[in-house]
Amino acid sequence: MKWAGVAIILLRLFLGGLFIYASVDKIFNPAAFAEIIYNYRILSGALINIAAIVLPWLELILGLLLLAGRFMPGAILIGTTLLFFFWTALLFNLARGLDIHCGCFSTQSTEQGSMLWYTFRDTAFLGTGIALFILVWRRSKKQITLETT
Amino acid sequence: MPAGKKFLLRMIGQTAAIVLAAVILGLTVNHVRPDGLSLVGDWSPEARITSAAGDSLIIPFEEAKGQHDSGRALFLDARSEVWFEMGHIKGAKNLPPNQIDRLFPQVLGDTPKDRLIVAYCDGEHCELSRDLALALLERGFTKVRVLVNGWTLWREAGLPVEEKRP
Repeated sequence: MKWAGVAIILLRLFLGGLFIYASVDKIFNPAAFAEIIYNYRILSGALINIAAIVLPWLELILGLLLLAGRFMPGAILIGTTLLFFFWTALLFNLARGLDIHCGCFSTQSTEQGSMLWYTFRDTAFLGTGIALFILVWRRSKKQITLETT
Repeated sequence: MPAGKKFLLRMIGQTAAIVLAAVILGLTVNHVRPDGLSLVGDWSPEARITSAAGDSLIIPFEEAKGQHDSGRALFLDARSEVWFEMGHIKGAKNLPPNQIDRLFPQVLGDTPKDRLIVAYCDGEHCELSRDLALALLERGFTKVRVLVNGWTLWREAGLPVEEKRP
């Protein structure tokens, strides 16, 4: 199917750009990013710094792979999983009424927006991730079938 | 091998490789950079509530109580107005840190810079009192302290409060 190929390219370019954009500020400001993770009140204290050290690089690598279209099954699995975690974390804090800085694209607390908007936006991103996951899954299965027959 | 299974194995292998790469890259860069983080941070209130110079800002409960009794300290409630209206430490003024630019003149405009200020909010992990204390230090106040979990401790101890009757 031709449209599926086009959709995969568009979606992976979008998500790839998104992840790279999200990673840059965090890579430059690890302490501020750790503070944001702390404010989410989800990870235990012992895990906060490790997450702040590794997560931005995971986002960057992921973004580059998505842009390049390499390692797609793995990249999109991690991407969708991350988006799912972010979405759950936002939803969880929305539900318990904790108003936090999203920290999604910037480590500055001046980032404007409400919890509701963040959550809505993240739902759209998660939907994009899942759609790409399904498309890649279908195409790759077909390719593997061709390779092995 | 069926295509689905092969795809799954490929996906898991790639996932492991990408995560491993991110861990190695992240740890290496963190190790090299001058502003790298320690791998396990201390996120307890004692470690977090410090001035820019690293001195602890926490005031022990008994000391805060004494300063309230003597009237030497000005208590500042850092929570939002709604919570303040529902109940606060007797004599406290309301100054949420995100409103400081707007409210500063009327709340602290004629307070001497060396007056003892005790900022509080509610809960062990509430950040508002810390944010407020740091903002006040930046504005030149010299004796700013934070009473951790202030509102809950104060009420549980049966100390003077002003509460709205329902």
